Amino acid sequence: MTREEQFKEIVAQYCKVLPEDMTENTRFREDLGFSSLDFMSFLGELEDTFDVELEEEEVLQVLTLGEALALLERMEA
Amino acid sequence: MKKYYPLTAAQKLHYNWIRRYKTQQVSGVSVVASLKAPLDFGLLKKCIQLEFERYGCLRVRFTRPDEKGEIRQYIAESDSRDIPLKDLSAMSMAEADGLMQQWAYETFDGDDIPLCDVTMVKLPEGYHGFFIHMDHRLIDSCGLVVMINDLMQLYAHYRFQSPYPEDLADYETVLEKDLKRAGSGKRFARDKKFWDAQLEELGEPLYSDIQGPSVLEEARKRHGKASLRAADIELENLFVAVKDYELEPEPTKNLMDFCMNHQLSMTNLLLLGLRTYLSKVNKGQEDITIENFISRRSTHQEWTSGGSRTIMFPCRTVIAPETEFLAAAYEIQNVQNRIYMHSNYDPELIWEEMRRRYHTPEHTTYESCYLTYQPMPVQVNNPHLQGIAQHAKWFANGAATKKMYLTVSHTARGGMNFSYHYQTAHLCEHDMELLYYYMMRILFKGIAEPDRSIGEIMALV
Repeated sequence: MTREEQFKEIVAQYCKVLPEDMTENTRFREDLGFSSLDFMSFLGELEDTFDVELEEEEVLQVLTLGEALALLERMEA
Repeated sequence: MKKYYPLTAAQKLHYNWIRRYKTQQVSGVSVVASLKAPLDFGLLKKCIQLEFERYGCLRVRFTRPDEKGEIRQYIAESDSRDIPLKDLSAMSMAEADGLMQQWAYETFDGDDIPLCDVTMVKLPEGYHGFFIHMDHRLIDSCGLVVMINDLMQLYAHYRFQSPYPEDLADYETVLEKDLKRAGSGKRFARDKKFWDAQLEELGEPLYSDIQGPSVLEEARKRHGKASLRAADIELENLFVAVKDYELEPEPTKNLMDFCMNHQLSMTNLLLLGLRTYLSKVNKGQEDITIENFISRRSTHQEWTSGGSRTIMFPCRTVIAPETEFLAAAYEIQNVQNRIYMHSNYDPELIWEEMRRRYHTPEHTTYESCYLTYQPMPVQVNNPHLQGIAQHAKWFANGAATKKMYLTVSHTARGGMNFSYHYQTAHLCEHDMELLYYYMMRILFKGIAEPDRSIGEIMALV
């Protein structure tokens, strides 16, 4: 499973949208219905799964799946 | 073979209260859910018994405390109890509520025992349903709402051939995942770093009381320490009274619209209203801490696994009076978002760290107010039962570990209910009247003029 697939599988646990219907422009709050708590819990799960530490200042700017994935890639690099 | 697990941080919170206050009563949660329609009680009994099979958290039990007072949990394989039916239909609704309130005061005493009672009830005015009384270590209010809906879906399936409800998540699977996450060294280190950094940045918190600065002054005299920043907790008289106020649908909509238009969560707006009141009655104190309950349910599994996932964390903000209302709301939201990311942490460790750093006296606290925002109404959402009047009510357990605990929930008719649970040892109904009145004045002044400063709003209301 690629990182992106794994990422979308995690997102899918928090909403009713299937991974194949998610795009990089999908927005967490407006399109997937994430609350603030959902979003921050999700980020915590990303940290645990991918063994990274996300910068809080940066994560608060994230709106879309593409932005979250890009941030994850930067943190892993 | 039966597996034993330690308690989660949320369960420990309740267990620590039980130990500190020496009664299980502080951990009771009770609700009645009913419909104004005849029910087939034979069928309802079977559905409740089936719910005990489906919803694993109902079968959670705790071992006898070990020499250190620690307990472990396990899930009983089955629970084939009878479900009693009580007929209260000859009473008035107020009398029936009064009797159920007495049931809510009852305690579950003992080890390795079921910590959940369900009673079917015939209520006045043609309402029929069931009363649930449980230990909070097994379930929180969101979990109860999920259970009530699942139960009614089962009933509707057998009664009206509607679709069988989807499977609920396995309590044990979710528990194992939670415990694994909590046991992760890296996760723990990140969370600890966050909570410790807050103390490093802001220093020791400062108590703020609903009744003003005199409470802290008295604590300072009692402890002989003029610099004391914490006040005493009531340990003897835990009796709690409840005062409910309902905000009408239209003003409720105004608050909700404000939240939506400014991408704020209602919890944060309420926190702002409450903290501004505390600041106002404490001579403009800027450093205010409120304990806010978070229900850690985000994934589908977390939503449907039951269990106690509600945990409280201190929401501490230092807001200068010249800060605009909207900016203050965002400041709180910013703090809360960070807390959410670190909500896997055991709040007892935050308290321990403060005691270590500041030598905070035992049985004192930095907070007088606790807030829960409950977005889910106790309402049976089932197409076969639509249009039928419902009567649902939460009952206080009668023993407050907190001086004032405000639960804000939505009503079926579109309003919001502000339920103030307060310790009668120190507070009276008039204190709650003032709190509600000024909270509303602050909130509605703020949403009408979000550019106005907090200091001005405090002076104007």
